Amino acid sequence: MRPLAPPRPSRADTRPIVELRSVTHAYGSRKAVDDVEFALHPGELTFLVGPSGAGKTTLLRLINRELRPTRGEVFVNGLEAHTVKPKRVAEVRRQVGVVFQDYKLLPRLTARENVAFGLQVADLRVSDEEARDRALDALEAVGLGDRAHSFPIELSGGQQQRVAIARAVVAQPPVLIADEPTGNLDQDNAWEIMDLFEDIAAWGTAVLVATHNIEIVTRLQRRILTLVNGRLVRDQPAGQTGRMAWLALS
Amino acid sequence: MAGTVVKGRFPKARLVRVVAGNVARLLFGGAARNWARNAAGTAPALCSMALVLLMSGLIGLTAFALRNMEAEQAAQASILHVYLRDDAKPADVSDLRQRLQLDPRVASIGYTSKDQALARAQSLPGLPELAGSTDSNPFPASLDVQVKSIGDMAAIDAIARVDITADPQQPTSYDRGAYQRLQAVLFGIALAGAAFIALLGFVAVTVTMNSVKAAIHSRRDEISIMQLVGAPRWMVRGPFVIEGAITGGLAGAIAGLTTFGLTGAAIAAGAGGFAQFAPGVTISVAGVAAAAVIAAGLLLGSGSSLLTLRRHMES
Repeated sequence: MRPLAPPRPSRADTRPIVELRSVTHAYGSRKAVDDVEFALHPGELTFLVGPSGAGKTTLLRLINRELRPTRGEVFVNGLEAHTVKPKRVAEVRRQVGVVFQDYKLLPRLTARENVAFGLQVADLRVSDEEARDRALDALEAVGLGDRAHSFPIELSGGQQQRVAIARAVVAQPPVLIADEPTGNLDQDNAWEIMDLFEDIAAWGTAVLVATHNIEIVTRLQRRILTLVNGRLVRDQPAGQTGRMAWLALS
Repeated sequence: MAGTVVKGRFPKARLVRVVAGNVARLLFGGAARNWARNAAGTAPALCSMALVLLMSGLIGLTAFALRNMEAEQAAQASILHVYLRDDAKPADVSDLRQRLQLDPRVASIGYTSKDQALARAQSLPGLPELAGSTDSNPFPASLDVQVKSIGDMAAIDAIARVDITADPQQPTSYDRGAYQRLQAVLFGIALAGAAFIALLGFVAVTVTMNSVKAAIHSRRDEISIMQLVGAPRWMVRGPFVIEGAITGGLAGAIAGLTTFGLTGAAIAAGAGGFAQFAPGVTISVAGVAAAAVIAAGLLLGSGSSLLTLRRHMES
C-alpha cells in the first residue's frame, strides 16, 4: 500500500511557478511555438500532448532557457527566463529539473555518482559527504537504494530513468520537466515512472511531462495541455480529461 | 524520500574548504583526467605547438642578438675613424686633433696606434689570419672621432679626409648609408621572422582548436548534463581551458627546455666566437627565453581553448 500523500496545494492559493505569456519561438520562418500562454502551479502534474512536431520539446526548452523566445515572456520561479543574460542562465536552470527520454546518464559514473555529480556541479557548497547522503536518499526515494553502486549499463531502462529522475529532483527544484520520459519503456515501467512523477508533484513540485502515452494521460486524470502546430489548442483541467471530458465542454 | 534536506549553518572555514575541494576535484582533477584520457587526440596539437614555440624561442633569441648587434653598430656608426698615413708627422696629427676637438659637433676624440689597431684586428673573427699573413703591420693608426649626432658625420668626414695626415688610399671609415643598409636588412629579417612565427602560430592555434572541438564533441553528454543541472558557465568551460593550458604548458616546457639546451650547447661549443655572432646571448638570457616560451605555451593553449569554447559551446 502506498504511503499517504501530503495534502496537495490548490491552484487558487498558490502563485504560478512557471508562467508563459504570449510566447512564440520560430526557427527561421517556421513557428515551432506560436503565441502560447499558460501557467504551472506548485504541486501540479501536467501533461503536454500533441502530435510529433507540435512544439512540445521546444516548449520545454523554453522553460529551461535552452532557447530564448522570439516573442513573449517566460517566468520561472520569479526569474525572467526570456531576458536573463547567458551568464545567469544557470540560475534559471537550477530551478528546473530535467528528465529525458534517453536518460542522459554518464556511463563512467555509478548511479549514486551520477546523482551526486548533478548536485555538486550546480552547487559547489555541497560537500562530498552531503552529496553522497542526498544522492542515496534520492535513489532510495525512487526505489533504487540497493543499486546505488551500479553503473548505468548494469541497469534496465526503467531503472536508468529512475536514476535520471533522482538526479533531476535531488537539488529539490520547484519545477520538473520531462520530455517523453516513458518513450523507451514498456507499459509497466512507464506506470512506475508516472507514479514517481505523481509523488514528486504531491510534495509541491510543478511537474510538466511531454508524452505520447495516451493511456497514461487519460487514466491519470491530470491537467492536459494540447499543442498542435505550435499552438496551445486545449487546456483541460485535472479531472476533466477522460473519455467523458466532452461532458465538461458541452 | 527520507524527509526534506535541512541546510545547516556551517562555519565559513568549512565552507571554503568544501568549495575549494570541489573546484580542485571537478575543475582541475576533471581536466587532468580528461586530458590523460584524450592524450592521443591531443598529440598533434601538442607537437605542433611545441614546434611553434621552439621556433619562436630560437627566433626570439636571434632577434635579441640582432638587436644587440644593431645597438653595437649604431654606437660604431657614430665613431669616425680617421686613418693616418704611416709617415704623418706627430705635429700635424696633433693639429688635426686640436681642430676637430674645437668643433662643437664632436663629442670626443681618441687615438689608436698601429699596434693597438693590430691587436683589435686580431680579436675579430677571420682577421687574425689576415693580420698574421704579412711580416709588417698593415693596420694604420687612427684618430677615433665620436660625433654627437650621426647626421653630422658627413661634415666631419669632409674636414678630416682632406687633411694631409689622412691616409690617401682610405682616409676615413665613413661609408654613407652603411648603417641605414644594416637597419634595412635587420628590419627585413625581423619582418620575415614575425611572418613565419605568425604562420606557425596560426597553424598551432587551428590544430589546438580542432582538438578542443573534438574533446567538446566527445563529451557533449557530460557538457549538456552539466548545463542542464545549472552548472555555472565557468564550471562547464573551465576544464577545457585548463586542458588547453596543460597542452600548451607541456608544449612550452618541451620547447623551452630544447631552446635552453640548444643555446647552452652553442655557447659551450662556440665559446668566444658565439659572443661575436650572437652578442648578449648568455645562459641567463637563454633561461629567460625558456621561461617566456613556457608562459607563451600556457597562454596559447588556454587562449585557443577559450576561442573554441566561444565558437562551439552554446550556453
